[in-house]
Amino acid sequence: MVAEFLAFLNPATGTDNVLSFLLSLIWIAFLMIFFLYPSFGQRMQLSYMLRDLEKKLNRLKAIKDEIHRVTVDTIKRVGRPEKDPTPEIDRLSEFFIIQPESMDPYGLVYKLEHILETGERTYENEVAKIAPHATEHQVKSLTNLVEVLRGINTLYRVVRHYYLLGRKTSNIYMVLQIQMVLPMIIEIAESYQQAATAFSKGQPIGDGVGPLVAAKLADGREKERYEIAKDTIVQEVEIENRKVYVVRAAGPGGTVGRPGEAVKQLIERLPENPKLIVTIDAALKLEGEETGKIAEGVGVAIGGPGVDKYKIEELARSRGIPLHAFVIFQSITEAITPMRESIAKSADVVIEKVRQLILEKVNGGETVVVAGIGNTIGVGV
Amino acid sequence: MSEPSLVIGRGKERFQEPLTFLKCLECGTENSRPFKEADYVLKVVEDEKCPKCGSMKSKIVNIYVPEKKTPK
Repeated sequence: MVAEFLAFLNPATGTDNVLSFLLSLIWIAFLMIFFLYPSFGQRMQLSYMLRDLEKKLNRLKAIKDEIHRVTVDTIKRVGRPEKDPTPEIDRLSEFFIIQPESMDPYGLVYKLEHILETGERTYENEVAKIAPHATEHQVKSLTNLVEVLRGINTLYRVVRHYYLLGRKTSNIYMVLQIQMVLPMIIEIAESYQQAATAFSKGQPIGDGVGPLVAAKLADGREKERYEIAKDTIVQEVEIENRKVYVVRAAGPGGTVGRPGEAVKQLIERLPENPKLIVTIDAALKLEGEETGKIAEGVGVAIGGPGVDKYKIEELARSRGIPLHAFVIFQSITEAITPMRESIAKSADVVIEKVRQLILEKVNGGETVVVAGIGNTIGVGV
Repeated sequence: MSEPSLVIGRGKERFQEPLTFLKCLECGTENSRPFKEADYVLKVVEDEKCPKCGSMKSKIVNIYVPEKKTPK
């Protein structure tokens, strides 16, 4: 039977070359598809892209679920709530902050500051409510953890939106745009996953290098310490007869404090202007650059929405105080994940550089303000 | 220095746990151990014995993830 069928298909023995005829038919059908349905190739490409997007979306969902699990477990363990905190955590993961209207830019910075502070306070209070047994520092770290969950939730929702919209409208260009940025989004999501672990355990993160420098600079030299703005402290130290006011967020809970307001309040209280304001912060490195590399420049080294940076710049301009900055390079992943050796080691180098700068630019008996900027989780006082 | 333990996930998802570096307040010897919850930089630890002088008072001077040394 099989031998007969093969013989039938064989061009040499078959009747009127059946195989050749069949192949021609298939080719004609294909050509007809491409002629009559010109976007057929694009459709096929779109289906491949959607399949790839779906796989990555599932990966994002897995990361989101893992962060959600870590958040719920940590809040249960640290906060010991009486009832299951999951519905409250889900509610907080959808929390939003509406940016102020910028049609009239007058007073925009202070409007933004007010909204951000309200958001921060509300968020912290909500977390404190669902974790009644957590200490003040633990509440701050838990707030960071819930913020990580909020971040990954937003990422997942946005990617899902473009995937579903692309599929619904069969719009290859929409799918293409999200597919192009998705590798970066996945990388950020994986960083969030590590960040969640760091915040759940209170481990110092790469962004904490600024407060780490400030902490080590003041360690063993501190003469006086006081809170000057919410979650922000000043440590008065003396370096070779120069008075140094070290400003940083109060650790070891996860907070960035209010460095802008703190520096402003501090300088307004001082009997005379400091000779210099030095800011130390983590900065995003470019691909190919070494992690932990230190760079020096002028200006205010503070990231974020710009409120703190604006306040220091405005004050320094009005009083003619020079601004000096040190930055420690790291990737976005390294900034939010447990601190790497090269970053921690660079902190010691920066301390020496700050000391040298003070000795060089500030005379004996004069004052200087040094602000360590960043999240102070895992860095105590 | 002990090797950092690997935690969470499988394959390339594995993350390195940081080490805590303690400095004895008596003899100044530095030693490290895996990070424990409630550790933070500049914390004074009073329940861990210095391996050199036996003092029970030490200070956490660093917490970081050690980098793997690549052979040159």
